[in-house]
Amino acid sequence: MQWQPDWGLRARMGLTMFLLFALYIVFFAALWAYSGGSLLIAGLVIGSFSLGQYFFSDKLALRSMGAKTVSEEEYPELHAAVQRLAQQADLPKPTVAVADDRVPNAFATGRNQKNAAVCVTTGLLQTLNQDELEGVLAHELAHVKNRDVMVMTIASFLSTIAFMIVRWGAFFGGGGQRRQGGGGIIVAILISLVVWIISYVLIRALSRYREYAADRGAAVITGKPSALASALMKISGEMEKIPSNDMRDEAEMNAFFIIPISKGAIARLFSTHPPTEKRIDQLNRLEREMEGL
Amino acid sequence: MGLLDGLRSIFGTRAESDATSGADPDDLFGMSTAYLTMAADLGYEPTGHAALCFAEVDSHEFAGTVSDVRAILSAGEAETGTVSRFVDDDHGYRWVVFEDEDDFEDLVTNLNFASDTFIEEGYGSRLLAAVFAFEGRGQPADWIYSFRRGTFYPFAPKPDASHERDNQLELKLSSVLDGELEVEDDKEYWYPLWPSEGGRHPWE
Repeated sequence: MQWQPDWGLRARMGLTMFLLFALYIVFFAALWAYSGGSLLIAGLVIGSFSLGQYFFSDKLALRSMGAKTVSEEEYPELHAAVQRLAQQADLPKPTVAVADDRVPNAFATGRNQKNAAVCVTTGLLQTLNQDELEGVLAHELAHVKNRDVMVMTIASFLSTIAFMIVRWGAFFGGGGQRRQGGGGIIVAILISLVVWIISYVLIRALSRYREYAADRGAAVITGKPSALASALMKISGEMEKIPSNDMRDEAEMNAFFIIPISKGAIARLFSTHPPTEKRIDQLNRLEREMEGL
Repeated sequence: MGLLDGLRSIFGTRAESDATSGADPDDLFGMSTAYLTMAADLGYEPTGHAALCFAEVDSHEFAGTVSDVRAILSAGEAETGTVSRFVDDDHGYRWVVFEDEDDFEDLVTNLNFASDTFIEEGYGSRLLAAVFAFEGRGQPADWIYSFRRGTFYPFAPKPDASHERDNQLELKLSSVLDGELEVEDDKEYWYPLWPSEGGRHPWE
């Protein structure tokens, strides 16, 4: 069977990255023009701290989640699954970590394929069966393969600078230091604010597209789109909607239906992950493609 | 929930109208091609069983309808080779069970005849569900048609009689056959029809 590339997804992702890039060029030029370089240099110094974060991202992310690296003796099956999937994805085997948390979740981190780590929570291990777990692990490995940590770090690097200028500028610029070029500083701060708001929305969109791409990657690595779909349904609680009471016992009852309150367009703009239904729809399409329909 | 349903709820007649709403048996014919996809793409073969589940009405007229259905089915038996029988289950529902090992399409046709007769006689609202049984690698996977909703959904009980469902398999079935069958979007309506102790089918 042949996996068809999703050109729509690629086009949207490409457009988002292009817009971010264009925005940052304009940002640079404006900073240079209005503050004669002083803000730009200050911003770059501050921004370089976030690059430092990038180099230690695997350690930092694991620590913030309270995750511990686990050995093969402790979790033999988890290690075996990660190793098999890494081979399938043509990756070196990443560090395996487990966080003691009842909420089912997983993430991948690391600046490149050699320094990658995959972390799952104990809740995830308890909730999912083997197939579903492999679907989730493959999704995380697809993030590693797509170098998403690097992509998202670069994408948010200048956004961080803009944010710093807004905070730091408001602190100092508003502090009554009325020297020459004070007006320029105010303008630069306003520009930074606008850049930060626009880039925030763009980065969120890019993040959602990377999630779709990782879902597709996971489907190809495992060859089981429905396994990841059922894992997502379990994690999101969608699976609990499937009733277990016999139809014949329910047929006589009048159930009260509560209409779910759907999230508005504004909430969707700010979310980093696409809605579960859309991810499941995409996986279902892949399942059909796989069955050659 | 559409506008009309909303109005019915406001006037408090929704429960009544839902319980007396008609059924459209023509949707059942989606199954007469879907079984080919089940076999070709998923490796699930029909077991040769299908069944119609309905609730009794305590009236002379309804008894007449049931004997009409009986008569039509036994007349067709010689022609199609589909054997039918009436069964009571332990939930207080009645079933028309069809068996035909060689021709799945005859099963669909006969089941459609039966449900059509109920609907024409005005008892469409008494029809609960139709079940089409499949099996692959020893794992049961049924398609259930809900007359109330006018949609199909998969039901795959785990073979170990634990009253658990194989969610992953159900998702796979629904995504592969979506489009070919009118699959129920809202998973809250994927009601199981559990087989009784030690049985394979809900009518046993």
